[in-house]
Amino acid sequence: MPIYLDNNAGAPLRAEAAAAVARLLADGGGNPSSVHRAGQRSRRILEAARAQVAALVGAAPRQIVFTSGGTESNNLAIFGAVTAASRRRKIISSEIEHSSILAPLAELERRGFDIVRVAPDSDGRIDPARVLATLDGDTALVALGLANSEVGTIQDLAPLAPACRTTGALFHIDAAQAAGRIPVDVEALGCDLMTLSGHKLGAPAGVGALYVRDSSRIAPVVFGGPHESGMRAGTSNLLGAVAFGAAAEALMNAMRPESERIGSLAASLLTQLRESIPGLRLNGPIVGRLPNTLNLTFPGVLGESMLIALDLEGVEVSMGSACAAGAVEPSHVLRAMGRSVADARSSLRLSLGWNNAADEIDAVAATIPAVWRRVAAAEPLSEVSAR
Amino acid sequence: MRPRVLVAMSGGVDSSVAAALLREDGYDVVGVAMRLAPEPSAPVAKRRGTCCSHDDFEDARRVAERMDFPFYVIDLRADFAARVVDNFVSEYLGGRTPNPCVMCNREIKFDRLWSRARALAADYVATGHYARIVPGADRRFHLLRAADDSKDQSYFLFTLGQDELSRTIFPLGAMTKTEVRARARALGLATADKPESQEICFVPDGDYASFVERQSDPTQLRPGLVIDRDGRRLAAHSGVHRFTVGQRRGLGVAGGERLYVREIRAESGEVVAGRREELDSPGLIANRVSLVDNSIASGRELSVEVKIRYRHRAIAATMRLDSGRRAEIRFASAGPAVTPGQACVFYRGDEVLGGGFIERAIAPEQAS
Repeated sequence: MPIYLDNNAGAPLRAEAAAAVARLLADGGGNPSSVHRAGQRSRRILEAARAQVAALVGAAPRQIVFTSGGTESNNLAIFGAVTAASRRRKIISSEIEHSSILAPLAELERRGFDIVRVAPDSDGRIDPARVLATLDGDTALVALGLANSEVGTIQDLAPLAPACRTTGALFHIDAAQAAGRIPVDVEALGCDLMTLSGHKLGAPAGVGALYVRDSSRIAPVVFGGPHESGMRAGTSNLLGAVAFGAAAEALMNAMRPESERIGSLAASLLTQLRESIPGLRLNGPIVGRLPNTLNLTFPGVLGESMLIALDLEGVEVSMGSACAAGAVEPSHVLRAMGRSVADARSSLRLSLGWNNAADEIDAVAATIPAVWRRVAAAEPLSEVSAR
Repeated sequence: MRPRVLVAMSGGVDSSVAAALLREDGYDVVGVAMRLAPEPSAPVAKRRGTCCSHDDFEDARRVAERMDFPFYVIDLRADFAARVVDNFVSEYLGGRTPNPCVMCNREIKFDRLWSRARALAADYVATGHYARIVPGADRRFHLLRAADDSKDQSYFLFTLGQDELSRTIFPLGAMTKTEVRARARALGLATADKPESQEICFVPDGDYASFVERQSDPTQLRPGLVIDRDGRRLAAHSGVHRFTVGQRRGLGVAGGERLYVREIRAESGEVVAGRREELDSPGLIANRVSLVDNSIASGRELSVEVKIRYRHRAIAATMRLDSGRRAEIRFASAGPAVTPGQACVFYRGDEVLGGGFIERAIAPEQAS
């Protein structure tokens, strides 16, 4: 069996989520919007799932809008915010966001909005002061990720909330990678909007949510019906929602021990790899990082080569923002953190998850150095034009 | 353990069938598509007949899914730019006519890709080339023309030596194109009826002159005059890169008899035009000669057949190799236009002995 270390791309389905889906499939469902009793039953199931998701982040159920996933949630937050705040023309974000934030912002830039992208420090941290320095009465939205998907850096975002409130800017947090891995609370963070993703925490892909503190402050982007309190038209994805709810509920209790276990596995893996790979570099901070994420620069090799070689050995990892069609561009996150193109091309992301066992990590700790030695000998970076 | 083979897949029918055949033969096949050129900017309609676009990779991926082997797209754009495209441009700027497919085979498929193959613990590299590799009783590997003479690609492979041949597989060498397509259909491969690729992959519109101009600094271009053999001015031109020896069109000379490019003098920017019969030459000098089997001794005169353009027939010649990897070729009878920069490949019957790059034609006066 291959060993899966790409949980930041998508986590394996949790047993609780699978069981909830199986139950629903066995019972049969209806359209939660229907008047008849099948519809009423479905509606109860949907609302129970909504409450489960809300509880994970300390929200009220009515503040949770189900979507098709993190990408749609980010799009709804960004386009919904600028549409509602029609006069404000500025959006503040950072250079290291996920493409589902960067691409909507690029589109708004094309439409004439003023987009400020704050640069991170060399560990991938966004200094709140740099955000505050540019925040003003023209700012419609501040959109930042809570934990970076590529390097795992956790941002200190709570200090931004009061100033956002004072200036009237909406404060959006993309917690797709953070929720379920570290404690996340919408009240403690003081955000107006928060993106959540189902498949990052053990539900299937195809379901996500947007926390909306006050629905009067954003406009919908999908029209066609009164679903999700008018925030997102379209018949509810009941199967996705129950799986998301079940995974969220499981994490209410499981998160702390699970994160501790994964964190110690990741720390052990890092220690073992450092012993056998001279010059191995961890990207991102030592503390203040997602416990499951190791972004590593392997000296003298192409990450692309390592990734394929590891896959053929049954170890599944990724380059930060790999594109299946090839032509992997050097990670924009590592570049923004000041890494060279060559270093960015030599980096891989190992992201552990709930079902990684200790013996898997020991196996990987032996496989990776062997593969690295082989790749470094066969295809040294000096031979390769890394430009 | 089954031997692992890295198969270079373009998304065309040939490399698809090559990979499928190896899979059926029980090899541990790993398919790779190489990203070489930057994403072509030409509209899709103009890109027909070239490979390596995104759609082609998807075709290769479908073949890998159908035949159940792993498949990856690998990014060799930087290597390709540095080792093939730059050479292509500088050759044209130097008044020569390069053959980028030969360079791509030498530098990318059988060098750069081999490094990747070793990194992936592969024992062999395979491609969909039409050529045969035959181990001899002498424990040497022989490179032979393809069974299908109309598809033979051995011309592009002359740079392969014993080391490369020992770890290369050409599964299609004994097949005809018709057989390959039939096999693809029988295997249900999506690529069975794809058209042939013709153009140079990184110049999808076939306009080499404009490509060279886009890739160079204007100060590198060598404009000058088209002259006749006596140095008389016939026309002005905007750069020697727009010409190839033997070319008839685009000389900018009106009326009179048909003129062809005889010689390109890059330093002075002179393009010498002449009549068809003035193109004839008794032979050529080739440099950077490599041999499939180094047992051919230098200094000796050898009877061979040479092919001096891919689409030409091989003609009888004698070859004398010096110790500096240069060869003097003398045609048995007056040969076709000798185009500096192109490959000159030495054959004996079906066997490729080696080849080199054409430095210059031997002038008729020098003929003994």
